[in-house]
Amino acid sequence: MADAPSHPQRVLSRRGLERLDLLLLCAEALDLNGGEAMVWLSEEMGLTDLFPNRVELWKRRCSNPLRRTTRRGLLSEAEADGLIRILNALADRLYPMLRSLLSSAEPPQLSEQRWALFRERLQELLQERFNPRRGGVQRLLDPQQGPELCRELIQTMALSAGPGGFARLKASLMDAAA
Amino acid sequence: MKLTSRYEQTSCRLVLEGLPDLSAGQSSQTIGILTGFSLALAGKTELEGQRDHLQALLTVVLPYARHVLSGVSKPMGADDAPVAIRRAQDGHELELRSSQPNTPPLQLPLDDAELADLVRCLDRLQLDPQVAVPLNWPEPQPLRRSELRDRLPLARRLAAPLSGVAALLVAAALVSLLPTPKPAGPAPAAVSTPARGG
Repeated sequence: MADAPSHPQRVLSRRGLERLDLLLLCAEALDLNGGEAMVWLSEEMGLTDLFPNRVELWKRRCSNPLRRTTRRGLLSEAEADGLIRILNALADRLYPMLRSLLSSAEPPQLSEQRWALFRERLQELLQERFNPRRGGVQRLLDPQQGPELCRELIQTMALSAGPGGFARLKASLMDAAA
Repeated sequence: MKLTSRYEQTSCRLVLEGLPDLSAGQSSQTIGILTGFSLALAGKTELEGQRDHLQALLTVVLPYARHVLSGVSKPMGADDAPVAIRRAQDGHELELRSSQPNTPPLQLPLDDAELADLVRCLDRLQLDPQVAVPLNWPEPQPLRRSELRDRLPLARRLAAPLSGVAALLVAAALVSLLPTPKPAGPAPAAVSTPARGG
């Protein structure tokens, strides 16, 4: 890790914003009250200065270029950190569910049912809120590529949970553009 | 007085044993000198080791997890390192190499859930205020473009430059089809029309 960039960027790139909002959407697909939980966790963690209400929280998420209605501009470092903290806390709450999806010890039939339910909810949310003409959205909705990408998202959430998850996810969201 | 610190997460149990380092001004409830640790991964052998082994474990597992988070499966752990981890067919493979001669390395398969459990245990150890053992924790860093290169298949990486070159060739072919303008002939002598008298 010593060969990391010496002057890392401080704000999230477009790609980082896309991934962060997609991961928050996954939390909503896993938990029907995920949207409410975000607002509640934001208040609980003292982020009301950054996100005073659900509309402001929603606006920050709409910086994602993959959204149907997208807002121009990048998030400030504090706003991005706030959203990453919310995701970190959501992933921690959902960790048993994330773990059961990823575990190979679960009965295969039950595991497949859980994955099918998650993918169905995620697709509904994507069709409702995201721009279906964007390649990134089409790949997630694609029956061939979608399942593999969904697994990557769940694995990312599992490794973003817990005490070290915030720093790990933030570093990953700041990766150079591939 | 021997102290114990335990970190458990479904399939993983990490237990540290040690003593307080009173000479360094630490409290009597803080592990400052590690006398040993044990790591139990679900259904696999319980491993035991010293500080060097714990250092080797976290030096490979945490950067590996950091790369997995970015969709990159980079094997970690040099050939002579006591611990290595790499992508396996249906998950990951943790390899433990004994310092005893003629002892074959132990390979432990981990699925994605077990890797996440192990990473969570190591994270909790890192942030535990009751443990002050000098360990070198790798700091997560953004990956460079060259490190992310393997994430995309070759066809997708080449798609953009190849389509650019193709577009340039098509444009050049279309431009070459345009008729070239004929060279202009000698300019006719300017004739001034007399102004009508009025």
